[in-house]
Order: sequence, then structure tokens, then C-alpha cells
Amino acid sequence: MVERIEDLNLPNAVIARLIKEALPDGASVSKEARAAIARAASVFAIFVTSSSTALAHKQNHKTITAKDIMQTLTELDFESFVPSLSQDLEVYRKVVKDKKDIKASKKDAADASASGSGAATEEAT
Amino acid sequence: MVEPKTKAPHLRTPTAETVLPLSRVRTIMKSSMDTGLITNEVLFLMTKCSELFVQHLAREAYAASCSKETSDTLKYEHLSQLVNKSSNLEFLLQIVPEKIRVHTFQEMLRLNRSGTTSDDDDDDDSESESESESDE
Repeated sequence: MVERIEDLNLPNAVIARLIKEALPDGASVSKEARAAIARAASVFAIFVTSSSTALAHKQNHKTITAKDIMQTLTELDFESFVPSLSQDLEVYRKVVKDKKDIKASKKDAADASASGSGAATEEAT
Repeated sequence: MVEPKTKAPHLRTPTAETVLPLSRVRTIMKSSMDTGLITNEVLFLMTKCSELFVQHLAREAYAASCSKETSDTLKYEHLSQLVNKSSNLEFLLQIVPEKIRVHTFQEMLRLNRSGTTSDDDDDDDSESESESESDE
């Protein structure tokens, strides 16, 4: 639940940094423009979320998936985001998997050292 | 006048890091009533997607307006103009409306007295006043 309306605002400093990255060097952004972009981004997130939820429900799914979001973006005419997002997602999945593997191998190593053999660490990699 | 970077968004290095805080994006997603469970993967994707959107908006508005003018400052007007002419930004029309002058608004009121609520009056008045201060 949202307790305060400010909870829906994205942090100003981060938004400012993202904008700066997108614009050529030397370009500046008025305070009002920055606030408007931040507001727009919140609304965008809500918009995409609810559209994806609707899409998921139509397919009788309760939870939205990455695929739902990608499809929603295409439907909403933001298909230019999809290639970058797919790449990010790939990296993200790999990082999550690696973390899991490391955790597993640590557990294995702990088990292995407890039983006196160190070979289990190799398996995970 | 600096040329806008022609850095296409898909040329940047993909990353599993997000700049925007995941927890805040989760709160925003949850604010939509029927949102069910949000998996970490979906949360990551929405956060990334919002980041891309921020940059898209800034880049497009800058390219559309600032390259024509001599100014290299991105202003509110540039954003509202972009929102007004882009069909995929239609959902922002109420969020980033074009500002109007008090006298223009009063003119509109005179011409179109029937369909305006008192709520709208307050909003538009204060906005156009703030513009008059900053612009003139």
C-alpha cells in the first residue's frame, strides 16, 4: 500500500543523472522539466504494469511475466525498448543464476570440508 | 550548439544493475490496484524500462526542440510539445499538459463556458500564473 503520495515519486538525483546521460554534454535541464520527466516515469511504470496485468489476466495468468511486459511494450508502441531490455534481462538472469551457483557451491564446499573432501566446489562452475 | 549524441539505446552495455531504486518501483507498481505478485525479474525489468523511458523522453524532447532553437536547456514546454505530438505518449497528456496563459484560458472559458468544471479552473490558473512568472 502507498502511505504517502511522495512514495510514488522517483528520486530526483537519479532522474537527473539519467537525463544528463541521455543529453549531449553542455545541455541543461530546467527544474520543471526534470520534475515533469520524473512524474512521467512514475505514470509510465503504472501504465505498463496495469497493461501487463491486464494482458496476463487475459491469458488466465495471475502473475505478470517478463514476456507480458515485452509484449505490452510492443503494443504500447515502445518496441524500441525491447532489444535493450532483453539484453539486460539476459545479464540479470545470468547474475541471478551465478549467485545461486555460488551459494550452492559454498554449501557444497561446506558439506565437503565437513566430510573431508574438497572436490564438490568444481561441480558448480 | 552541440549535436545530440547519436547513442542508440541498444548500443549501451547491458547490465544487471539498476540506477533507480527497486523498492520504489515496487511501491509504484503496487499502487495499481490489481497488481498481483511481483517477481524479482519483473521488478528488475520494470525498473530498467522506466530508466529507458526517462532517457527516451529526455532525448526525444531535446532532439525535437533544442536542436531547432539556439537554447541547450531542456524546458517543460519541450516535453509538453513532445507529449502532444507523439501518439505513444498519449497517456501523458493529463500528466504533462501544455501550459496556457491566464488570458488565453479566460478566452477559452468565454468561448466554451458549458463544459468546464471549477476544479479545472484552479489547476490551470495556478499553472499559467507560474509560467508567466518564469517566462516574462
